[in-house]
Amino acid sequence: MRTSAAVAAASKPPNPLVAFEHKRDAYGFPVRPQHVQRYREYADIYKEEEEERSDRWSSFLEDHHADSTDEPSSENSHAQFSESGKEKEDDKLGAKDVTPDDANGEEGFPDMEKSVHRVQLWTEVRPSLRSIEELMSVRVKKKVDLSKGEQEDPKGKSSPSFDDAKSTKGASENDSEDEFYDVERTDVQDGSSSDGNSVSGIPVAGDATSFSASTCPWKEELEVLIRGGVPMALRGELWQAFVGVKQRRSKDYYQNLLAEDSSGNSIDQEDTQHVDEKGANTESLAVVEKWKGQIEKDLPRTFPGHPALDDDGRNALRRLLTAYARHNPSVGYCQAMNFFAALLLLLMPEENAFWALTGIIDEYFNGYYSEDMIESQVDQLVLEELVRERFPKLVHHLDYLGVQVAWVTGPWFLSIFMNMLPWESVLRVWDVLLFEGNRVMLFRTALALMELYGPALVTTKDAGDAVTLLQSLTGSTFDSSQLVLTACMGYQNVHEIRLQELRSKHRPAVIAALEERSKGLQAFRDSKGIASKLYSFKQDPKSVLVDSSKVSLTNGSLSRSESGSSNADEVLVSLTGDGEVDSVQDLQAQVMWLKAEVCKLLEEKRSALLRAEELEIALMEIVKQDNRRQLSAKVEELEQELAEVQRHLSDKQEQEGAMLQVLMRVEQEQKVTEDARRFAEQDAEAQRYAAQVLQEKYEEAVAALAEMEKRAVMAESMLEATLQYQSGQLKAQPSPRSGNQSPSTRNINDQLPEPPQSRISLLARPFGLGWRDKNKNTTPEKTAEHVNEEKPNAEGKETNAETKDVKLQDAS
Amino acid sequence: MATTAANKTINAKLVLLGDVGAGKSSLVLRFVKDQFVEFQESTIGAAFFSQTLAVNDATVKFEIWDTAGQERYHSLAPMYYRGAAAAIIVFDVTNQASFERAKKWVQELQAQGNANMVMALAGNKSDLLDARKVSAEEAQTYAQENGLFFMETSAKTAANVKEIFYEIARRLPRVQPTENPTGMVLPDRAMDRAVSSSCCA
Repeated sequence: MRTSAAVAAASKPPNPLVAFEHKRDAYGFPVRPQHVQRYREYADIYKEEEEERSDRWSSFLEDHHADSTDEPSSENSHAQFSESGKEKEDDKLGAKDVTPDDANGEEGFPDMEKSVHRVQLWTEVRPSLRSIEELMSVRVKKKVDLSKGEQEDPKGKSSPSFDDAKSTKGASENDSEDEFYDVERTDVQDGSSSDGNSVSGIPVAGDATSFSASTCPWKEELEVLIRGGVPMALRGELWQAFVGVKQRRSKDYYQNLLAEDSSGNSIDQEDTQHVDEKGANTESLAVVEKWKGQIEKDLPRTFPGHPALDDDGRNALRRLLTAYARHNPSVGYCQAMNFFAALLLLLMPEENAFWALTGIIDEYFNGYYSEDMIESQVDQLVLEELVRERFPKLVHHLDYLGVQVAWVTGPWFLSIFMNMLPWESVLRVWDVLLFEGNRVMLFRTALALMELYGPALVTTKDAGDAVTLLQSLTGSTFDSSQLVLTACMGYQNVHEIRLQELRSKHRPAVIAALEERSKGLQAFRDSKGIASKLYSFKQDPKSVLVDSSKVSLTNGSLSRSESGSSNADEVLVSLTGDGEVDSVQDLQAQVMWLKAEVCKLLEEKRSALLRAEELEIALMEIVKQDNRRQLSAKVEELEQELAEVQRHLSDKQEQEGAMLQVLMRVEQEQKVTEDARRFAEQDAEAQRYAAQVLQEKYEEAVAALAEMEKRAVMAESMLEATLQYQSGQLKAQPSPRSGNQSPSTRNINDQLPEPPQSRISLLARPFGLGWRDKNKNTTPEKTAEHVNEEKPNAEGKETNAETKDVKLQDAS
Repeated sequence: MATTAANKTINAKLVLLGDVGAGKSSLVLRFVKDQFVEFQESTIGAAFFSQTLAVNDATVKFEIWDTAGQERYHSLAPMYYRGAAAAIIVFDVTNQASFERAKKWVQELQAQGNANMVMALAGNKSDLLDARKVSAEEAQTYAQENGLFFMETSAKTAANVKEIFYEIARRLPRVQPTENPTGMVLPDRAMDRAVSSSCCA
């Protein structure tokens, strides 16, 4: 009960940062101390985003629930009808009640504690999500068909280790199918034979494209919504819908898997007998026990301290992992699954979590967590190629530092980013990944992270710094929306088909490397060596050619080994077969000897080739280093040049500044002179005006003078006339009157010297006139003659003075 | 060796290998952050740490790869021990099986790893005196026979944790040029290429 309560509590939308300590986020996961600050910043953003998306989702669900109520509900009823009636009751009663199913289950489980937790083992998703569930379940249906086909196909021909795993799996599967699978399970497994039951309502998809083809019109809208994030309240159920939990489920399967455990040794022994009967060995049971130990060790190491993972939570986790290990022995228990299972348990009831886990591990991550983890390694090679293609600069830098992308991205993929990204981002990546139903989102997310952090990585100086930086940047990718959108929008050309192509391109290398390594170890441990030698020439295709041509001389049977199945045992078998067929002991010995010889030679050749290649690469590296040195020298040179040029430039700039200053000064001076000139002009103007005035006055004076002169002439002539008259009278009567007259004559005589004086002044006139003419000529040359003007002026004044004198005299 | 330029920095890649729950991550956490938690989260794939140590004549910058312990993660281990200058193989003194697993790791490193690798054998959880299953003598003998050095450590009490890293730092070859810490990657890349070329041809 408490488990379910805890689980339910965790799966309900918690108001962020509930009662948990400060260092845990809204989901109850710890926040690293260095991220607490940033998490707080983002907590509000998350809250807003969450509200927004809840609204969008609820309106979306309303719209499409109404649309699709008709069809899906009929399908639903089909499905439910075909499932046992109890299941239908289940729905009606609501999942919280103890159902007859569970009661049945309890009969098989005397253990009370177990049964307590079985109460809310299984629930259906809410009706509003049915249409999405239906949509997604089409895919599951088809995939089950496909994977069934796939699984059966290569069973016979795979490598020995694979074979073992498969046969045990096959055995246990058969075993469990016979014993525990009910009819529906078989139907789900074998869709073609099911006519009137659960799958009938759904068009059985024949080819891979039909999923996308058969989708409804709102699938795109749904996709956009999912990329925007799934509301916390719906996450658990939507994930179930995406993975197709309901479609995968076969009733009691989970309970029966667990029953093997809880009912103690008796059943275990039965199982063993069962397995033995079927021709498999008892190893599988021992293996289960080994898983038990590992699961036990990891239980407390899964989200330690998470509030929802109390004792009951960890018990549920134990059951879930154990059940899965029994369900798929070829995978068993792999670290990382503990985290996945725990996360699922936080979001959904236990059995739902189990089916979700099977969907994820068996299908989405098929081959990832198996014993040899081949697909995981293949994916890393694929990713490396993609990164190389997209970010050549970054890869070049990492190569230079000696960092392999896979060192960091390997754990990313294996953990599906759990504990690598902040939780909000992890869940957002999971939303898309589970919806898409493949591993494309892993690649897209990794590429987006490289895009986001590549520029920073390029600045690092050594391998340690690069990895540390990438780890810490990744760990603080709180902007989940940016991450998911960058991943989904920026890398649309990274899609499943392309990935499949790349995978099949890289897979052989991984398998070869794996065999190489196991061979290497074997060679190291094995003193016999012959098997490893045979192995070794199987590794080298050229040697196979030699081998086959060689062998075909003696016996055709060995040429089988050439035909492609990379199985050393087969070679050995054919070798022994060889021996049996050939009756001539001698020849056989010879063949053996020759074979050994060939092996030896081939091995030598191989090592020589390896060595050559090593040397070649070393040489390349040296050359690269050399180039680097040259380049760095060149860079230095260029830098020096650059510095010089810069110095020149600064010199020039200085000069320019100086010039500018000089120019400014010149300009100022110019301005000053201009001003001066203007003033001078004004002066000149004034002077000219004065001159004009003077001229006028002068002319006036001249005119007056002329008048005076006329008058003087007149007076002179009058005087002369008077004189003549007087002399005429004197001659006539020189009388004593003449003595009386004398003062007046004296006056006149006194006046006599005067005329010459005035004549002198009159003589001066031409000079004055001459100046006037001269002045007229010089007026155009204003300034230069300015000083000279003073003289004529002065003269003019003099003449003026003279004329005034004359006037005065005249007046007197 | 000590005559070479003082205070030079040596970058050394170090890898921790060992069985599930032997305490690899705890050892690193104690060494790098001086912390200890009773339940350390399981390591998926590998985790990276870096820490710098000053030994008398040089500064050693450890680039530490803490690998996952589960056997199947074994297939990823070469990626991490390839080119490593040092390795610490960790076992749990209270768990005989983990000691056997440690021996396998030693074998693998001898066969596949770098020939000059400095290898240390750490018997962790030495604080659990009552539960001890592997005696110090047994481990010491094994270490001597196989050319590695052995220390009993406890991440919980911090006993010998710094010491084991110091000892490795002291033993690292000083001649290794600092500028190319990844020089040892070369032969492995060659291997890779050889493998891929041989199967494509």
